[in-house]
Amino acid sequence: MNSAQIEIQLIASLVAIACAIPGTFLVLRKMAMISDAISHSILPGIVIGFFITHDLNSPLLIVLAALSGILTVVLVEYIQKTGLVKEDTAIGLVFPALFSVGVIMIAKNANDVHLDVDAVLLGELAFAPFDRLIINGMDVGPKSLWIIGVILLITLILLFAFFKELKVSTFDKGLATSLGFSPAIIHYGLMSVSSVTTVGAFDAVGAILVVALMIAPAAAAYLLTTDLKKMLMLSVCFGVFSAILGYWVAHWLDTSIAGSITTTLGLLFLMVYLFAPSKGIIAVMYREKQQRAEVSLITFLLHLQNHNEVEERHVNHLREHINWQKVRATKVLELAKKNNMIHIENDVVSLTEKGETFTSKAIDYIITNKDAQIEDMKDDFFLFRG
Amino acid sequence: MKKIAVKIDDLTVAYNYKPVLWDIDLEIPEGVLMAIVGPNGAGKSTLIKSILGILKPIAGSVSIYDKPYEKQRQLVAYVPQKGSVDWDFPTTALDVVMMGTYGSLGWIKRPGQKQKKAALEALEKVGMLPFKGRQISQLSGGQQQRIFLARALVQNASIYFMDEPFQGVDATTEIAIINILKELRKAGKTVIVVHHDLQTVPEYFDWVTFLNVKKIATGPVKDIFNDDNLTKTYGINYKVSIQE
Repeated sequence: MNSAQIEIQLIASLVAIACAIPGTFLVLRKMAMISDAISHSILPGIVIGFFITHDLNSPLLIVLAALSGILTVVLVEYIQKTGLVKEDTAIGLVFPALFSVGVIMIAKNANDVHLDVDAVLLGELAFAPFDRLIINGMDVGPKSLWIIGVILLITLILLFAFFKELKVSTFDKGLATSLGFSPAIIHYGLMSVSSVTTVGAFDAVGAILVVALMIAPAAAAYLLTTDLKKMLMLSVCFGVFSAILGYWVAHWLDTSIAGSITTTLGLLFLMVYLFAPSKGIIAVMYREKQQRAEVSLITFLLHLQNHNEVEERHVNHLREHINWQKVRATKVLELAKKNNMIHIENDVVSLTEKGETFTSKAIDYIITNKDAQIEDMKDDFFLFRG
Repeated sequence: MKKIAVKIDDLTVAYNYKPVLWDIDLEIPEGVLMAIVGPNGAGKSTLIKSILGILKPIAGSVSIYDKPYEKQRQLVAYVPQKGSVDWDFPTTALDVVMMGTYGSLGWIKRPGQKQKKAALEALEKVGMLPFKGRQISQLSGGQQQRIFLARALVQNASIYFMDEPFQGVDATTEIAIINILKELRKAGKTVIVVHHDLQTVPEYFDWVTFLNVKKIATGPVKDIFNDDNLTKTYGINYKVSIQE
């Protein structure tokens, strides 16, 4: 690895961390689409800043871009508040308007400025190490590394200082207001951080892909944990992991770094989506299957308990009596047998003692459904699993 | 005459310039357990939210022990409707109860051992201590409501506002909650509850306010909880048999 490669990975990682933090709160606030809006509508801010400073890394440019990000949020909220259109419509109206202003400004001045739409949309991470920050004639590293470093530092300080406020206002806005924590301040603070981070990440991954860095790690982390702090840490880890792996994928395939990072993020989310232990698709499907079996079994046992007549309990009659397909009936019969809930004599099924107790308990649970009982019953219900 | 805990003067609240509360004057004496009753859309929740500064009224004023709410936050605890929050939020029962202590901490300061201890005590009081580490989406509706109640208890307030605390809870939880509310009243606290079930008003509460966009009546349950006021509030000829 040469120093440029290390620098690129370092920039990409810092960008990933800086995006994952506000991204986590955006996901929890169901505002993922706002980050898409911000990432596009900061363009006019960047262009105006660039016209003034002729430097893509100037602080003025970052401030202007962040302001146009905030403007987006304010406009979306204003339009939404009129009650004439819904929030997603408002987002869809505002950001293309602002973005297109930026596009027109770039196109109008394409001859004079070195800023093209490709770079804005996709970023130029590979070139980031060439633009150095020189202080007193000394090379202290790439400019974009310093910019994202400072943004990340500010984000971290704000996160640590206002973690409690962020949490309570995200979870329960009404309580936050009544306790005296202005959710509006927290909201616009978060929006400002998201805007500034988006500008800082612009260089690295461009306007479109920055959304993926904000949302995908947080969305994946959300499926894996039930603790906000762990969710934040997981998002950060996923972001950094994808940034570094994405870089090397781009290196091997000789392709766009931003594209590779985002693809990695997408695949990572897909993996989590499929395989997350309790919220993943496969786990959910498995659980539903178990539940179906559970309900079938109880239905079957209840039928046995309710009927003493031999003809009602004959193996061949059971199927038509509970109106099940053959496969399902056989499966339930086997499940009950395996757990010693029934015994079969001359093709007549009867409940064992264990089966009787279990059925009574199950019915008790279904009828009363009290909190305390649920706790006791849970162990019983999973008895026959596995 | 008892002290006045909450005083509301000429309060008018509107959504998009359509008033949902008209010119409310209301005095809530200290130490009552009061139900706010009225039909859907009567502005019951709106009234509570306006008192707590969550909604901005277009006219009128609210005072808590003679001072504006902003200066008396520490005296007030709030239990919002259960449906107002996202129960899939990644947090535990204990953590939600801890949020009740945030008000006394103010900005930036983090909760510590003292706050944790208070939260555990509140959990114990509502019978939810065994569930302290559980993710909130894994709790039943009644358990979630108890967590909200514990969060209000931990604020150790003088006045409690509760928005339909009995909504979607089972009978056991309802009894547990009302017992805690009665205990609060016994301790001299003022408890104000948005309530739906008219049958239980005489049994649970000692004070009642009838509300339907305007204030219809307010006072002791035994004096004013009658068919006349119910009819005025609900618009139809309303009859409840009040048990003697």
